[in-house]
Amino acid sequence: MTAYIIRRLLTVIPITLGVLLLVFLIYRVIGGDPAVRLAGKNATPAKIEQIRKTFGYDKPKFFNWQEVAKTSSPLAAFDSQFWQIVRQFAQLDFGKSLQSNQRISRMMADGVVPSLCITTPIFVIELMVAIALALLCAFYRNTWIDRTFVVISIIGMSISGLVYIMLGQYFFSFELGWFPVWGFEGVNYILLPVAIGVIAGIGGSLRFYRTIMLDEMYQDYVRTAFAKGASHKQVLFKHVLKNAAIPILTNVVVAIPFLYTGSLMLESFFGIPGLGRMTVDAIYTGDEPVLFAMVFIGSVIFVIANLITDLCYTWADPRIRLQ
Amino acid sequence: MPGGKPGEMVYYAEGGDIKGFDPVRASDVDTALAVYKIYEGLVEYDYLYRPYRVVPVLAESLPDISADGLTYTFRLKKGVRFQDDPCFPGGNGREITAEDFIYTFKRVMDAKNLSTGSWVFAGHVVGVDDWTKASEDRSKPTDYTRPVPGFEAPDRYTLRIRLKEPYPQLLWVLTMQYTFVMPHEAVEFYRDDFLNHPVGTGPYRLKRWQRNYRMEFERNPTFHGQLYPSEGAPGDREKGLLADAGKPLPFIDRIILYNVREYYTWWQMFLRGQIFSVGISKDYFNKVVNTDLELTPDMVKRGIVLRKEPQMDVFYLGFNWEDPIVGGGKTPEEAVRHRKLRQAITCSFNQEQIKETYAGRMIPAAGPITPGTTGYDPAKPYPWRFNLDLARKLLAEAGYPDGKDARTGKRLRLSLDMGGAGDAETRQLGEMYVNFVRQIGVEMTINFSLQPEHWRKLERKETQMFSAGWVMDYPDAQNVLQLWYGPNESPGVNHCNYKNPEFDKLYRRILTMQDSPERTAIYKQMADMIVDDCPGAFMFHRLTYALLRDWVENFKPHDFPYPNVKFYRVRPH
Repeated sequence: MTAYIIRRLLTVIPITLGVLLLVFLIYRVIGGDPAVRLAGKNATPAKIEQIRKTFGYDKPKFFNWQEVAKTSSPLAAFDSQFWQIVRQFAQLDFGKSLQSNQRISRMMADGVVPSLCITTPIFVIELMVAIALALLCAFYRNTWIDRTFVVISIIGMSISGLVYIMLGQYFFSFELGWFPVWGFEGVNYILLPVAIGVIAGIGGSLRFYRTIMLDEMYQDYVRTAFAKGASHKQVLFKHVLKNAAIPILTNVVVAIPFLYTGSLMLESFFGIPGLGRMTVDAIYTGDEPVLFAMVFIGSVIFVIANLITDLCYTWADPRIRLQ
Repeated sequence: MPGGKPGEMVYYAEGGDIKGFDPVRASDVDTALAVYKIYEGLVEYDYLYRPYRVVPVLAESLPDISADGLTYTFRLKKGVRFQDDPCFPGGNGREITAEDFIYTFKRVMDAKNLSTGSWVFAGHVVGVDDWTKASEDRSKPTDYTRPVPGFEAPDRYTLRIRLKEPYPQLLWVLTMQYTFVMPHEAVEFYRDDFLNHPVGTGPYRLKRWQRNYRMEFERNPTFHGQLYPSEGAPGDREKGLLADAGKPLPFIDRIILYNVREYYTWWQMFLRGQIFSVGISKDYFNKVVNTDLELTPDMVKRGIVLRKEPQMDVFYLGFNWEDPIVGGGKTPEEAVRHRKLRQAITCSFNQEQIKETYAGRMIPAAGPITPGTTGYDPAKPYPWRFNLDLARKLLAEAGYPDGKDARTGKRLRLSLDMGGAGDAETRQLGEMYVNFVRQIGVEMTINFSLQPEHWRKLERKETQMFSAGWVMDYPDAQNVLQLWYGPNESPGVNHCNYKNPEFDKLYRRILTMQDSPERTAIYKQMADMIVDDCPGAFMFHRLTYALLRDWVENFKPHDFPYPNVKFYRVRPH
């Protein structure tokens, strides 16, 4: 088990290298060097050159063969733009934002709590409600109750999240004044975005969990349990839910890394100073150090979340052995 | 939204993302607006008087300028103190001196600080470029004791700036945030975090800042006490703008700025009276403004005021001078044909139709010089104004009759790069350009990019045609004419990479000329050269329509509005 965990954790290295390489290719190879933006509006070519030198944008992109020839040291090949980023990230130094000039670690620390304040309650409430409704649908399969929820979930999935946000903000904040239009200054400020997040996402979740539950409801062990006289409650919660745990776990744990990235639209419309807003701003302004940091942290969390999923499988299904 | 305390004057507005509070890096509008609340310089723009002029702030009076225009001597106001801050012994702000300005100016010029404002002194002040060069060595800290011969402090309250050659824009650039005084104690105390701990002399101090969300400023109790202006432009008295003449500033006790991203949210907050002003987006325009371009009665009833004002900017479609089809040409014959092609394309653009689509929120441009600037002539006709007959004639003379290459018979295909991908208005505009040139038989492809990618293409001279704009830094046409100066080619500001030795000669001449009828005549001559050579098709100057709440008094539109909140007064509402 320990060897398995170590092996899986080591996959962080190629995965993060891969994503860093991808972002590097997009921003530094296909895109340009950011020196012009840093230099400002009235910049002279000399000023731009000076910035290139300062930030190392004048170095080769991947391997510095010139430096190898000069110093005869093969390690000098890594004195390049890409490996400079890799070295920096290996030391968990994310550098500074090109846009705000703030330390990125500080920006992330500031943004993660607001993001989690929105995404965690949405995630938990949506999960609980969707599983409960899915069990209900499975139990009453092919009745009007099941069909009504299927229709509602399809309608819910078909409407863009933006519509929920705009209508919700207009009616409940602007017209009725029940919630603040915008801000992040107390629990009442997150109630509406959380409610909208749950409503916007529940359709898809309900459909997914309903399918899982229905698969289980047709299994032989369910028929046997009923035949042995088990109550509906026992069958649903003790047998069906437990057997559906594997796909539920997969879905849940894979979603966890995305909690930290926040909800882009909700954060933008409701003024939540989270990481979602920060990431989208970074894309729009070409703030590559922020993007490097976000994908780096994202990929590390992703690997860890996958590992936790695997470990949870052994707990949910004792037949599974990790090697 | 939290309310103010009883009797307190609180101003709520929208404020964008800022790059911290270090004046040397404050290159964007939102950061500048934040910095100006806390920091001050020697001079600033007169709030009411027009045409624009500078008035002293931390200087006692305007400088004595030597007869040769090479030495500016400022006398500082006595008793002006930095705001109280832990960076000072005992936490009490000390008095500012001329040495503080020299320290500040050196900080702008320090290569390690990567200031976006080093251009204000670079190449102008005696010895400053050598000082910058010496600061480039990253292996050792910059030596701030090393003097810059052009910055002198003969005594505690006298500051002298010596120039290599006359620099008539110096007073304008000294109104800019890059030159605002700061104490070396704060920079040394906070080091990397100085950008989060502003220590200035201005009317406000930072109370609380939640990045990405909210900034709160409160009155600086040790502010030196500037007074509201007693002189204004004609009509200001009638509008009540001089009612507060001579009263001490600022009037507002607290300023709260929210960083609202979505226009929809911004709009709702404005309608609920939670913020002071909002621009009118194209989608909302017809809901609030009637066909006579006046405010609808419903808006008037809500206590909303409409503001219309031309902007000191110019938007154009540039032609890359190095492009083999639309560029300057390699032979004299090619140069003539290419010029005619550029003129023909410009003639196909229907500015009136663009204006209509934008609900009248623009003034058609007729050249590079912006409204409100010396040399701008609103009555001057644009020779390449929409005229399809002329466009077809010029196109045929350029070797493309009916839009087809006379030598190959192939249709002319051009490409235009536009920033702002994802913005519906930009896409709509792009489609209009395609339809305009199609009328003269030319095909055009539009490449939409996000702004950083658009800049990259311009920087690498990778475009054939591109959309661009310029917002003036100061009210002097030199600021916009630099866009066409040969040595400023990409990655500099001359993204058309336009080269014209005659123009360059005139540009070098005006750089050292003081404001005079002769200089204005040269500005016009230079603008005419640009219009005739047509390295850019001049499209429009923006006309801003914005809505204001009527509870803010003393508001006067200004092209450089950064410090102006100190003049506002908020009526209870």
